[in-house]
Formats: sequence, C-alpha cells, structure tokens
Amino acid sequence: MLAGCTKVGNMEWEVPVGFVPGMRVPGRFFLSDDLAETVEEGAIRQLANVATLPGIVRHSLAMPDIHWGYGFPIGGVAAFDMHEGVISPGGVGFDINCGVRLIATPLTVEEITRKRELIEALFHAIPTGVGTKSTLRLSSGDLNDMMDSGAAWAVEHGYGLESDLEHCEESGRMKEASGAEVSGKARQRGMPQCGTLGSGNHFLELQVVTDIRDPEAAEAFGIRQGNVCFMVHCGSRGLGHQVCTDHLKLLEKATGKYHIAIPDRQLACAPVTSPEGKAYLGAMAAAANYAWANRQMITHTARTVFSSFFGLDHEEMPLVYDVAHNVAKIEEHTVNGKTMRLCVHRKGATRAFGPHSHDIPRAYAATGQPVIIPGSMGSASYLLKGTQTAMEKTFGSTCHGAGRVLSRTQAKKGARGAEIRETLARRGIIVRATSPAVIAEEAPEAYKPSDEVVRVVHQAGLSLTVARLEPLGVIKG
Amino acid sequence: MPYTELDHTADILIRVRAPTLNGLFSEAARAMFATMFADRSPGGREEAFSLCADDRDELLRDFLSELLFLSEVKGVVFTDAEVDLQGTCLSCTAHGESFDPQRHRGGTEIKGVSFSGLRIINTDEGYQVDILFDV
Repeated sequence: MLAGCTKVGNMEWEVPVGFVPGMRVPGRFFLSDDLAETVEEGAIRQLANVATLPGIVRHSLAMPDIHWGYGFPIGGVAAFDMHEGVISPGGVGFDINCGVRLIATPLTVEEITRKRELIEALFHAIPTGVGTKSTLRLSSGDLNDMMDSGAAWAVEHGYGLESDLEHCEESGRMKEASGAEVSGKARQRGMPQCGTLGSGNHFLELQVVTDIRDPEAAEAFGIRQGNVCFMVHCGSRGLGHQVCTDHLKLLEKATGKYHIAIPDRQLACAPVTSPEGKAYLGAMAAAANYAWANRQMITHTARTVFSSFFGLDHEEMPLVYDVAHNVAKIEEHTVNGKTMRLCVHRKGATRAFGPHSHDIPRAYAATGQPVIIPGSMGSASYLLKGTQTAMEKTFGSTCHGAGRVLSRTQAKKGARGAEIRETLARRGIIVRATSPAVIAEEAPEAYKPSDEVVRVVHQAGLSLTVARLEPLGVIKG
Repeated sequence: MPYTELDHTADILIRVRAPTLNGLFSEAARAMFATMFADRSPGGREEAFSLCADDRDELLRDFLSELLFLSEVKGVVFTDAEVDLQGTCLSCTAHGESFDPQRHRGGTEIKGVSFSGLRIINTDEGYQVDILFDV
C-alpha cells in the first residue's frame, strides 16, 4: 500500500521527490499503521501530483482521512507562494466551503422527552434532499449581497445572532469575494437553494456531550458534559458546484497560457495573481460566503424549532464554531522563520489554528481554534482544538471527518436503509431521511472509525481532543 | 451492460462503452442520471442545446455538466439524450420527465463531473471512457 513512502515520525510519512516526475517538494501525510493499511495507491499518487505544481511551499500534505479524490486527494493541504504559486479548483473541489458548525444548548438528554417529534420537526422545517427549494424568494440583488457579505447577510436579515459571526472561520465572510466572477448559471442554481441542506453526506445531527477530555478548553468553548448540542454539515449547493465547473474550464486555458505542466487535467491552475487566478479566487470566495449564509440560515431555522419545543431564547443556543473544509484562502504563515503570505488550499481538511493566532475569536485565544470533526452517521463526532504543532507542520490544518472505507455501491449491498435505521433506533439514534437509500449509502460501516482518525491527529499533535459527542438523532437528504 | 460502476471509495467512477462516439455520449448521460435518480421513466419533457470544446474529452465533460445544470434548474429527470457529434462540437436533444420528489429521490446527488482520468479511448468494439463524478 505504502510502497515508496518512508515513515519519518510516529504518525508521519514522507513521499519522496521523484515518486512522480516533476515533484518540487516531498509529500507528507499523517497515519497510524492501522489506517495505513486502508490508503489507496491513487491517493498517494494524487498527493505526489500536487507537489509538481509551481510555487508549492514546504510539502504537499494530507491528513489522516486521506482518500483518492480528483485533482488533490481528499484530506489534501497545500500552500502556494503568492508570487510564484498557483491557485487550483482541483484543490478545493466542487462543493466550495462545504463545512460544519456546532451549536450548544443548555438542555440535558433527560429534557429531550419528545426526541422523535423534535427530529421530525427539524426535518420538516429545514428543506432537505435533492430538488428541494428554499422557502425564501431572493432577488438577484439579495444574492449579490449574500455572496458579498456571507453569514453577516443572514444575520442582518434576521437569521441569527451578531455573536455568531465572530464564531465563524473568517467571521463567515471572505473579503476577496467577487460576485461579478459568478456566472448566470451559478446564480440560477443558487437562487432557489439558500437555506437548504442538500443530500449525500450532508446532515443536521442532534448530539450529547459524553466525554470531556480537556475541561479548560471545553469551558472556553461553552460545552458541558451531558448537554445537548447540534451540528450542521452542508456547503454552497449548486451555486458552488457551478462556480467550480465554470472556472475549471477557464483555468484549463490558463494552464496552457502560463506554460504550467500538470499531471492530471483536474489540477488546472493559474498563478494566484494572474487575472484568471484572481477571477477564480473571487468566485470561489463568493460561493464560500453563500455557504456561510446557508449554514447561518439553517442554524436559525433549527434554533426556532428548539425554541418552540423547549421555550429557549436563541441566545441560549450559541454557535461554538463554524469551520470550512473545502476552500483556498490567503493566510500568513511562518516558513523557515520568515512570515509569508500564502494561498492555502484545504480539500477535505479543516483549519486548526493554534493559541494566540490573530484569526481566531478572542474568547478562544488561549485554547486555540475549535475544530469540529463529524463522525459518520451513528458514530461519535469530536470537538478538538488547534495547535502550534499544526501551525508548524500543516499550515494550521487537520482532518475533516472519518473518511470512507466502502464505496456507496458496496455500502448499499451491505445493508438496507430500513435495517440500518432500526439498528440505530435500538441504540436510541433516530434517523430521518428523504429515502432509505441515502441511509444505506451513509451506513456506519462505510466509514473508518472516527475514533481512530481523531486518535491519529491527537497523537500527531495536529489538534487535541476536547470532547466527544454522541449522536441522538439525525436528519439527512 | 453499456456502463458499469468501478470501485471508488469516496466518489462514483463509471466506465462507459459504446460502438460509436454518439452512443458513448448518450450512454454516459444515461449512466449519470441512473446514478442520480431512482425510478426514471420517459415523460414529455425535452431540452435541446449545442456545445463546442477544444477536444472530445472536454466536450464529453462539458456535455454532462450542461445536462446536470439543465436538470437542476429546469427540474427535469432525463431518461435519454440523442447526440449528434461533428468534430469537437455537438448538438443534443435530451428527453425526460418532470422531477417528482416522491418517485425520484433515492439516488445520489452528483455535484460535478471531474476531469480526473477522463480520456476517451478507442477499443476493438468502439469507444470507452471512465468518468469520475463528485458526489
């Protein structure tokens, strides 16, 4: 599986220059010996391919949930010099700013006496599944404002709290956004979909905090043992998918224009500062802002449901944090003792900035950024904190989830959706989905154990475990 | 089977075969919509479009991306696509039915058509291509 790779640390492996022709830097990835057994050869090759791109700094990286994707591997992280480096949609993916957020509540499990009704109410309040449309009628001006202002647009329009904004990565808005670079097609797709959850692996999950491992950080994050919280996982919907499709085509032309040799057409790219590179960054940031507004609106709808069930004020359900896991951003990092502005791509990877970073909320300055790692349906999710080690080794990045071990087809062959629903129900986990097939695709057996992936990032020091969150119920598209 | 699903853990990888290039494009469209929607049957909807690209691989990717776009914004579940290729341009008339959540849900939403490894090759029987869909 790992032929040609060298173990260079407890959980750290190196892919040497020369693994594929044209590599400019080595690859590095983080895995336990057990997880190393599950890595596809294609994923390592993709990691090596990224190392051939111009201006890549230090290493082409992959987190412990590394997977064979397209362009970059899933779990891939790469930083590029602002002057000599490139930006590539293959390092972000189609679902721009797919991300996850965690919202705390003061409720205990004992207070959730009507759990099935609560899950049902959430399922009906939040548009879920393929083909669902938002109840909101946006004008094209609204969409422009949303793409420009991100989560702040939603809060200004009554969907959420001012304090939510500070608790989003980038405060829920990338300032590089340029709606002018977003095509009419992308707008047509985005207009009816704001505030919708989507389908596939996207979800809203009701959870309980079962195991606090870092009381100080948990206190700072507002998480208490035995309390109920909810997690939202979704992205930029059709708008982001179309931005990726449109700009890949434009960047394919640019790749030739700037004489960049690429080993995979999905790695189409352009210099970060070129007109084509700037256009993609502007459109991608606009889609990222749309995704933040989207998660903000879903949060508001869910809070409204909780309010009607438990008489809570929205302020009693604070946003712990919101992280993006498919995005390219301009960030400052220290490389060989020098501060550099870099274009950091994270594809299926989470930012995990350490303590005292300028880019995290003041309340979290001493602990480091909250990192949210969703488990698969029916398995535990984790709240972690960012570290200085991540700043030094991975440009402040960590894993984004458990990572699949079975294809969707294999998962569907393994068990029927109805059976999985019953098995989970016996464990007290209620699943509500638009169809049983969605449940079968996302079966718990289809994923690596989240505990193992989290153990690796913890032991590698890329982020440290704060709390474990057990599922109580989930809604899925 | 004119198309088969190959093993891919995270996304969906489909191998399409056909005796003609026109047929390869039609089969690729059929494979994509069979992945996305359960229980499709012909209906009265029709969408027509034309496209050009720099080469035939790019043309196939753009063709599938256009169908994906039309399906979502027009609310159509396509069942078949008649394709007429002329060099690196094509015209297409796609047929289908209106999206009905009750009947069509249960498939896998496709976010995009990746260019990774997409290369149309000539075989003894005609043509073959592997397409990786981001889901």
